[in-house]
Amino acid sequence: MQKEALSKGFIYLLLILGSILMLLPFVWMISTSLKLPNEVMIMPPKWIPSDIQWSNYIEAWFSAPFAIYSVNSVIVLISSTIGELITTILAAYAFSRINFYGRELIFSVLLGTMMVPGEVLLIPNFVTLSNLGWIDHYQALIVPWLASIFSIFLLRQFFFSIPKELSFAAKIDGCSDFRFLWSVMVPLAKPALITIAILKAIGSWNAFLWPLIVTSSEEMRTLPVGLISFSTDAGTRYELLMAASSMIILPMIILFIVLQKYIIEGVARAGIKG
Amino acid sequence: MKIQLKDITMRFDHTTAVDHLNVTIEEGKLVSLLGPSGCGKSTTLYMLAGLYRPSEGELYFGERLVNKIEPENREIGMVFQNYALYPHLTVLKNIMFPLKMAKVPKKEAEARAKEMAALVQIDHLLDRKPSQLSGGQQQRVAIARALVKKPKLLLLDEPLSNLDARLRLEMREEIRRIQQEVGITTIFVTHDQEEAMSISDHVLLMKDGRMQQYSAPQDMYDYPKNKFVAQFLGNPPINIFPAKLSDDLQTIVLQDTRETLQLEAPISDPAAMNGDYELGIRPEDFYIETDSVKAGLKVETIRVERIGRDNLLNAKLGQINLRAIISPDVKINKGDMITLGIRPGRARLFDSSSGHNLLH
Amino acid sequence: MNDKPTLNKTLKAVLYLLPALVIIVTFSIYPIVKSFFMSFYTDYDYFKDLVYARGLDNYKVIFEDPEFWKSLGNTLLFVVGVVPLSIIISLVIATLLNQKIKFRGLFRTIYFLPFVTSVVAVSIVWRWIFHSQYGVLNYFLGLFGISPINWLTDPTWAMPSLVILAIWKGLGYNIIIFLAGLQNINQQYYLAAKIDGAGAWERFKNITVPLLSPTTFFISIVSIINSFKVFDEVYALFGGQPGPAGSAETIVYYIYNKFYGEWDFGVASAAAYVLFLVIFIFTLIQLYFGKKVNY
Repeated sequence: MQKEALSKGFIYLLLILGSILMLLPFVWMISTSLKLPNEVMIMPPKWIPSDIQWSNYIEAWFSAPFAIYSVNSVIVLISSTIGELITTILAAYAFSRINFYGRELIFSVLLGTMMVPGEVLLIPNFVTLSNLGWIDHYQALIVPWLASIFSIFLLRQFFFSIPKELSFAAKIDGCSDFRFLWSVMVPLAKPALITIAILKAIGSWNAFLWPLIVTSSEEMRTLPVGLISFSTDAGTRYELLMAASSMIILPMIILFIVLQKYIIEGVARAGIKG
Repeated sequence: MKIQLKDITMRFDHTTAVDHLNVTIEEGKLVSLLGPSGCGKSTTLYMLAGLYRPSEGELYFGERLVNKIEPENREIGMVFQNYALYPHLTVLKNIMFPLKMAKVPKKEAEARAKEMAALVQIDHLLDRKPSQLSGGQQQRVAIARALVKKPKLLLLDEPLSNLDARLRLEMREEIRRIQQEVGITTIFVTHDQEEAMSISDHVLLMKDGRMQQYSAPQDMYDYPKNKFVAQFLGNPPINIFPAKLSDDLQTIVLQDTRETLQLEAPISDPAAMNGDYELGIRPEDFYIETDSVKAGLKVETIRVERIGRDNLLNAKLGQINLRAIISPDVKINKGDMITLGIRPGRARLFDSSSGHNLLH
Repeated sequence: MNDKPTLNKTLKAVLYLLPALVIIVTFSIYPIVKSFFMSFYTDYDYFKDLVYARGLDNYKVIFEDPEFWKSLGNTLLFVVGVVPLSIIISLVIATLLNQKIKFRGLFRTIYFLPFVTSVVAVSIVWRWIFHSQYGVLNYFLGLFGISPINWLTDPTWAMPSLVILAIWKGLGYNIIIFLAGLQNINQQYYLAAKIDGAGAWERFKNITVPLLSPTTFFISIVSIINSFKVFDEVYALFGGQPGPAGSAETIVYYIYNKFYGEWDFGVASAAAYVLFLVIFIFTLIQLYFGKKVNY
């Protein structure tokens, strides 16, 4: 018994030490973001600011067009998430409920496409968008991300688990296929749809390389791209940099904590998206 | 509504699930589609529902040819084996769903749904979700949903198979009660012969996609058209003995023991004389013959089991095992030789190759 | 059953699939093909979409470019640095979390946090942590008597910095997958082993590790593939530069630089296809062995 308690203690010790290492960067970020400038660059470091400077956040916010960046990020996040949900629902329905010519073939091609790294697509997509005249417009940030093979795959699996009799019953009840999809399948697939939406939202909010390439003007930048340019301007004003970083990091952390069940389940179930 | 199936055939890739089915179902009757799994009974039901299109034949609802009519326009209600209730909707919403689809005003829809719920006695559960209901209650909701549009035909696909034995008994009486109260033509698919026998006006027995017999349950039991029907109905099952017919076309000779049995009347078809036959006798049609002068089958007792009010006798006639239900008053022990008499008119004779019943 | 494909259903399916397929074909399938062709464009005007010459020159250029080989070498170094360490650490943590302990959900949340954060933002945070004079990392090392390291400015330490950041960021994902794998192992094996007198370490070695090998294999491949694609961290950690003296230039950075820095689309496409090939090989390995390594 004593030995067991000892090993339990050891487990907790390891886990807590690990947790501290995981959390430390966040603590350090927030601590720095609330410091007076003269407390930032000192040795030994000060963990708790002597005077909490909420104003750093305001100063950071106005040192660069973060308002514009945020609006852009939010617009891109909302429209691409909603758009992806719609295309995914429709496509997953076709792949799980309609038996059409070439279904297996098309689906395999899509799955195969998933193996191709996004970097390969970067250059031709840039050319396509330039030809469309979309570079440095919202379309370039949103349209290419309106469909996801991964999400279609995930939702198709979920749709398969809904018994066929339900659609028979609906048919007899006089419910059209399209209506059945929206009034029965979609409500039933809510957990899967939330998972898809959150993974999408996180991906969209944090995306960097793509917005970096397709935006050139300040008005079109999203938060991560804006933060990078701010980081060169801010120089050694680390308290402002940390405040700006917090503004990008915290919304997703809050979203995650609120809806973590769906995220962790989604990641564990599919385990594909990196 | 009167239902007519004319040469209805359903082919899947390589199999014929239903083969030239011709049946007429009278208005207001409850008809069971009975048969072993894979006999085509569910396929037939799905064709009636319009979920499958028959490959051949014509399907009439009343005077209307419905082959190409979509399910929602057939004026039918259907109950599925797993009930297929919408899990995210409450009981009330589930029952209202068909009305909502038919654009019935909400107030009226609600009133009608509640009326239906009262009929199936679940009006106290209206706000629950299906997952909070027992199997029997879900069943009732499914029936209410199927009936709320006041359909002309109610289809039930093995509705009792997911219930435990006691509930099954209760629900089958309920289904019968509701059906008679509403007076709706009902088709009920089941693989359970007892279920079919107990609630139907008519039973349609199928095997390998073909109709075997279509008649009132008791007629089917008493006058099976063929050996399959005779064997499918009844528990314990009918006893079968290989036999020959002697020259007088009236005396049956058992193949094994050479014992003979007189039919009440000779077989009408003289060509039947040289064939191979099978004698079928239901366990309850035996009795113990104490008068040694009278004819009977001499059998050796293997075991006697008491089941409820009767005794089930397991015995051997030559090499063939048989079962008989006998009065518990007679004391018989293992190894006893006894004589079993056959109740008059209760022997059945089947043609070995075709299985036809030659006596009825 | 009755459900055979018909022309009617196909038409209906097309309507349902159209929105997704338009996007996927335009932005995923067409570019795969286009990119392949572009890698052979040796003289190309992208503004007018005119190709003046085609050939193998782009591939020749990258294979003769020492910077390309360096970036490939750096990427390999990064993969070797991140993948084994990350897998070992996450396996240990997942095993600990799989014990009967309190606050399991809380721990899981904490370890997963970095995964949902913006790479760019946390890289900037880490830039501050790695600060040679005032960074907390050097401060902690100083407590153990280690003199300050120029994490981000010394070419020898640039890659380790990147590796530390990547392990920290990706740990939670691996832990979740490992936990899912661990929960699939039937508890009866452990009970049986306990009865046979196997200690905790022996149970871990003889039951957990072998039975978890499909999961481990999956995580390895996914980690390798993702590590090959590392870019955001490099860009943000070193302020848009590929580390001091190019010491942290990875293959995707190379592609990015050829493409967006030098506007040499042909060479960039060729390099992208080489990356694709490398990843493709690993994917094939996974598909091939993934089916075999299964209990």
